[in-house]
Amino acid sequence: MEVADVIHFLAQTTPFNQLSEANLGQFSSHINVVYCKARDKVQVNSDRLLIVRTGIFALYSDQQKLLTKLQAGDFYGYQQLLTRLTDNDTLRCEEDGLVYWLDAEAFHQCRYQYKNVDIFFQRLFSRRLHQYREQQQGSRFTLKISDVVQQRKVAIRPEQSVQDAAKLMSDHRVSSLLVEEQDKLVGIITDRDLRNRVLALGLPASTQVNHVMTRQPHSIDFHAYLYEAVQQMSQHNVHHLPVMAQGICCGMLSATDIIRSQQDHPVYLIGEIHRQPDVDGLERCSQQIATLAITLNKQQVPAHEAGHIITTITDALTQRLIYLAQQKLGEAPCIFSWLAFGSQARMDQSLNADQDNALLLEKEPTGAVAEYFSELAEFVCKGLAQCGVTLCPGNIMATNPELRLSLKGWSGRFARWIATPTPEALLKASIFFDLRVIDGSKGLFNALQQDILQRTAKAPLFLYHLAQAALQRTAPLGFFKNFILEADGKHKKGLDLKKRGISLLTDLVRVYALSAGITEVNTRRRLQQLAEKGVIDSKDSLNINDAFDLLAQLRWEKHQHDLQQGHDVTNLLDPMDVSGLARHQLKDSFAVINDAQSSLKHRFCRDM
Amino acid sequence: MFNWLFRQNTAINAVVNRFISQPFPAATTLVEHSPFLVLDLELTGLNPRKDHIVSIGWVPIHQQEIVLAQARHYLINSPVSVGQSAIYHGLHDRELKSAHDIADILTELLNQYAGYVFVAHHSKMDEQFLRFACQRCFGKAPRFKFIDTMQIEWQRLLRQGKVVKHDALKLPSCLQRHGLPPMANHHALEDAYSCALLLLSQLKLGGNAMTLGDLYLLSR
Repeated sequence: MEVADVIHFLAQTTPFNQLSEANLGQFSSHINVVYCKARDKVQVNSDRLLIVRTGIFALYSDQQKLLTKLQAGDFYGYQQLLTRLTDNDTLRCEEDGLVYWLDAEAFHQCRYQYKNVDIFFQRLFSRRLHQYREQQQGSRFTLKISDVVQQRKVAIRPEQSVQDAAKLMSDHRVSSLLVEEQDKLVGIITDRDLRNRVLALGLPASTQVNHVMTRQPHSIDFHAYLYEAVQQMSQHNVHHLPVMAQGICCGMLSATDIIRSQQDHPVYLIGEIHRQPDVDGLERCSQQIATLAITLNKQQVPAHEAGHIITTITDALTQRLIYLAQQKLGEAPCIFSWLAFGSQARMDQSLNADQDNALLLEKEPTGAVAEYFSELAEFVCKGLAQCGVTLCPGNIMATNPELRLSLKGWSGRFARWIATPTPEALLKASIFFDLRVIDGSKGLFNALQQDILQRTAKAPLFLYHLAQAALQRTAPLGFFKNFILEADGKHKKGLDLKKRGISLLTDLVRVYALSAGITEVNTRRRLQQLAEKGVIDSKDSLNINDAFDLLAQLRWEKHQHDLQQGHDVTNLLDPMDVSGLARHQLKDSFAVINDAQSSLKHRFCRDM
Repeated sequence: MFNWLFRQNTAINAVVNRFISQPFPAATTLVEHSPFLVLDLELTGLNPRKDHIVSIGWVPIHQQEIVLAQARHYLINSPVSVGQSAIYHGLHDRELKSAHDIADILTELLNQYAGYVFVAHHSKMDEQFLRFACQRCFGKAPRFKFIDTMQIEWQRLLRQGKVVKHDALKLPSCLQRHGLPPMANHHALEDAYSCALLLLSQLKLGGNAMTLGDLYLLSR
């Protein structure tokens, strides 16, 4: 028995419009019809084809990533029917609707009988694989109006007064109103209109809205993409667009809504940080870093860029804390530079980084000067700790009086390390040779850095010991190219991606950079400059760069994984947890480290 | 044509008896697990004593899924001319020539859907006509369990504090209100299908914990 609505719909839906009328009736009797309400989860792992009749359904991957949205005439389940492989996708109803479930028998029968139906679903399947990749590249560009706009309509009638309008706006805390006559949109009125067209012209408060409203405003469809709205706004120089769904106005999209939707962008977090009036505010901001990291990962931002972004945020937190400290303590008694060492200096901070910082002062720290900077350091380091940047266990922090020195003090300290290097001292001190100014005077910092680099370039003994220190640890690769796993007490066995990977490379690159007087501290930029200056072979430089990127990427993904599982973030990776390809690449990377270490040994430890 | 007049005997009663012996689901059954049969009748008039069933359409609901494979539509032999009512249902005497005997159809209905909760839009009418037809065919009418989607809709609107106009309860208006596809022309199966969609939507609005008992209350 045929139901006209079902037949009619199928006859209009590709590829079933291929079916003859007689077959269509037969076909429709293999269908079950289900009604779904918004937020319902649709059971997808059944051996049937889902055909969306009405409504909107969102498809999420097992990582809860939005893959696509299904609308009338879209299908789901053909993947499983074609390949017999199950997905862990979830399908959630977003707008009430009807779905048809077609049983597997009819699906296959239809594919068998109609070549075009078969081709259609085969293509759909291969396109979906493609879709997965595309989606991953830029979710920012695929946001729709429906994802952003609040379905809340604040409307006024045209014959009401502008005073009513102003009251309605302040009651609802909105900057614009829809003007509607019998549920039909006739115009909009914004707070700017009230200023420019009413107050500025001296019109009375009883002026009717229809005298000052914007008639026939530009509008945007509920299902349009967000960038289309941005385009319309800038094209027509407006900040408000009524949102229309099937000819009926359902809300207002303002420029603020768009900005708010982009708030997961680091730029907004940094902006936010610089607006916070106190440490508690900064702490709240820093809680967003974890979500930001997840978003960065979702958008497939490479690890080195993510490291850069995270470092930029730590920088911003530090700068704001220094500002707040000065608000509290008053102006600094002399010029100073806030220095960062280690990963923050190299701009490759990870989520579990701790603090490594110090102060470089214009004057000798005595009396009031010493007291002031002691308090400033206390405030900033404590503040950073409150924001989740843990205190340095090795006490390499500005709170340590040994690390609050004048230019002369620092210069003397570096000179001592360089002139009489002992391997143990260098192992600890190597972190000081990656340094960057975060806040305060750049000139003061440059003076120190030039001083250091001039010394290191002419100190073969120092470089010898630095290289020795860099060679103390080796990559965890056995004689037969097998992984050597280690345990770290708390966790199960694994490869320490930092200690036995990334750190080895940064140490090694640092030796070259200091020997060549390179001011850059970021490992990738150091490599680039080393290759440009001909200090190391450009092929070696690229190899080291690739190995470094891979290790950093794996560590970044490991951290993401830990974060999503709610574990503590660790650097210990079980090689069985990654794909076969990644395991191969990991072995290659360790081999690169071994090669690079032996050429470092050759270069700096030969003559001694 | 008048066969049914002479078939009133105990053997035929067995159909009704078997239907009666099958219990309905308990009132505590969650609506999502209850089997429903949504049906619609086209009639020659509004008086069950005088008027007759011209056609019948039905579609069952299992686990909240409308099973189109079991959708049925039958034209019924009428002892009297369709007459003026053809204006509404579009069925004329000549088309009814290929029609079925009401007794055969009722037998199929009672045999296959014992234990089902029946559903119709303005079900009082359908229930009365079915009972009279059973009485005539089998000499005995079973007690049906009927759910009325119109009544449910009325209660729903009242609870929202809306003034309910009579037109607002007609099936096409209900479909529109629930955002469901509009109806094709008057036809017993189309109406039954649309009514089934309406019921699914109403059940969803009732929430997950809704039982048959709740539904009977709503449908009073």
